[in-house]
Amino acid sequence: MKIISHGFLRLYLVIALTAMVGCEGEQSAFAGLGPVSSRITLLMWVMFIAAALITAFICLLIFISIAGPSRWRQKLSSEQGVVLGGIVFPVVTLSTLLIYGFMVLREGENLVHAENPVRISVVGERWWWRVIYLHDDGQTTESANEVHIPTGRTIELELSTADVIHSFWLPAYAGKVDMVPGRINKLHLIADKPGVVRGQCAEYCGGAHALMAFYAVAMLPADYDAWLAKERSGAKPASEKEGERLFFASGCGGCHSVRGSRANGEIGPDLTHVGGRLSLGAGILPNEPKSFAQWISRHQTLKPENLMPPFDFFSESELQALSAYLNALE
Amino acid sequence: MMEWVRRYWRFLLLWTLGLLAGGIALALMGAYSGILNIAASAGHPAWLESFLQLGKERSVKFNSRAIAPPALEPAELVPLGAAHFQGTCAICHGSPLQPVNPIFGHMLPHPPDLQRHATHWTREQLFWIARHGLQLTGMPAWSGQNRDDEVWAVVAFLEALPSMTEADYRRYASGHSKTQDYADAQLVSAGRPRFDLTACSRCHDTADAPPTSPYIPRIGGQEEAYLKRALHDFQDDMRQSGFMEPVAGDLDDEHIERLASYYAAQRPAFRQPARPSSADESELGRQLAEQGDRTRKIPACNACHGRKGREDYPRLAGQSAQYIGQQLHIWRQGGRDKTPHGAMMAVVAKRMTEQQVAAAASFFANQPPWTERSPRP
Repeated sequence: MKIISHGFLRLYLVIALTAMVGCEGEQSAFAGLGPVSSRITLLMWVMFIAAALITAFICLLIFISIAGPSRWRQKLSSEQGVVLGGIVFPVVTLSTLLIYGFMVLREGENLVHAENPVRISVVGERWWWRVIYLHDDGQTTESANEVHIPTGRTIELELSTADVIHSFWLPAYAGKVDMVPGRINKLHLIADKPGVVRGQCAEYCGGAHALMAFYAVAMLPADYDAWLAKERSGAKPASEKEGERLFFASGCGGCHSVRGSRANGEIGPDLTHVGGRLSLGAGILPNEPKSFAQWISRHQTLKPENLMPPFDFFSESELQALSAYLNALE
Repeated sequence: MMEWVRRYWRFLLLWTLGLLAGGIALALMGAYSGILNIAASAGHPAWLESFLQLGKERSVKFNSRAIAPPALEPAELVPLGAAHFQGTCAICHGSPLQPVNPIFGHMLPHPPDLQRHATHWTREQLFWIARHGLQLTGMPAWSGQNRDDEVWAVVAFLEALPSMTEADYRRYASGHSKTQDYADAQLVSAGRPRFDLTACSRCHDTADAPPTSPYIPRIGGQEEAYLKRALHDFQDDMRQSGFMEPVAGDLDDEHIERLASYYAAQRPAFRQPARPSSADESELGRQLAEQGDRTRKIPACNACHGRKGREDYPRLAGQSAQYIGQQLHIWRQGGRDKTPHGAMMAVVAKRMTEQQVAAAASFFANQPPWTERSPRP
């Protein structure tokens, strides 16, 4: 499951990581890994090249009007020249680009009417993502900070927020869509091939906004079905008994759920399969045993003002036991 | 007149400055020469006495003018204030049970006999003096930060003190603690039996009696690790209490071990609280305890304070609503977040509404205390 290289995830503490990740391609708006994003990329290139050509053309005209032969300059300043160059040319060019842009958008719109999409609800929270898989039978499975999607099928994301305005941005597959209090905004996308990409909150939502990221994992449909079935099931009985005891006795279950156990809190991220995720703390720590200990003992430093109460009283051995328990929740 | 000033202003200015400089020089010379006798044994001449009294009276009145006293319930607060007074104040001020210790009787100024002098001050003024202390008199400031609630308990006691009989005072100040008559040989080696500051039962519960005030926690049957942690926190000035800090400061580690183990082994009896809660309130309290409040991000109380909680988390079942409510208020005002455990609870307490504080306090007050001991890991 740990597809991402270790060295890459070292960058987690750097605030400038957005830009760096962008260069790596994983969170690049140029990646175009699905029809929606590749159309956006194409539109971007068409607009960019057209704008570059027009700019060059205007520069040429300016040069002619200053240093060109007097016959050409006369033509440019004639009424006919102004009408053609100043009105007809922009109207035709801009209208063409506008109509083309609408066409591109309309093709994205087609996904809205796709039959039987995969429905996933994503709720923005300060500062993490609640991810709820909506099954065909009306039941739901909650997870966090990671969206798994099957390739080749239309994905319908229902985007909402539990508190302030967030923005869901998964540049490899689609553009930004805001999560606005009191509304459910829908985003449709398709992933062409399997892979792991990174997303980020793209609307300032408070102090830890820059530390609110997530991963999207596109899987072949069969792999996805198997993954979802596992995600849907409860946690298997823990082998790390001491860590499990500490988890419940320390009150972790007041905020976190581990399905299949008595931890049924709904305030923080669901931890039923937290050991199987790519990252911890909403994309800021690599998922390895020592990250759990780091997060539990220093989360207010790693993600300042996050809403989890500080637990600064665990001993080193207690942290080890808790980490082992959580890491085993795969 | 103006003409005169205009003509002589240089002359006046010079004289004023000269007198000022001379005065300062004289004061410095006086201090440096040591001619001023500040011996407590020397006493104050009458004029200096009245001057100092005037300064003190005016300062207390002026500085206490903005204090708004809360409603004080004597039955709940007097035992608390009395036990603290007997333990820490009576050595200087005397009490109906003990005259002023001759050593402190030779302080200057003499610590006043509060059975007579407490009536001299208003409620606000008593609070101000007990809370802030008085410079140059030996009167210390309150030792617990942000614990005005404790100072008010002492004020309630001081208001009741002048009309208190010796028997009443003994009852309040000794609580459930007892002194026994020693045999001669014991008297010789152990000294006169007295109500010691560290006698827990002066205030706290015993096997067959509740604490002497609802603002005092029930510690019989409490988690051992929690009791130890609490006493160490008081000792290290990490948890604030003018009542408990001097007591914990007087204990050593071995005493703390033994006391925690003793109280953890007690089996508390349940007494229905004096203030029953309404149906709405008990429902709200039950919800908070069992489910929490997702919209305000408050986890269920029982996630930590339930039966399988950590040994260093306190048990709340059977504590009085007043005590739980008061501690939650202290947390909400930032008065209990110096320790790691306190910092964690502070986050939760600050998310609660006043109504939720009252409901949660009342819910746990209505729960019978648990009798089983937690298993040792």
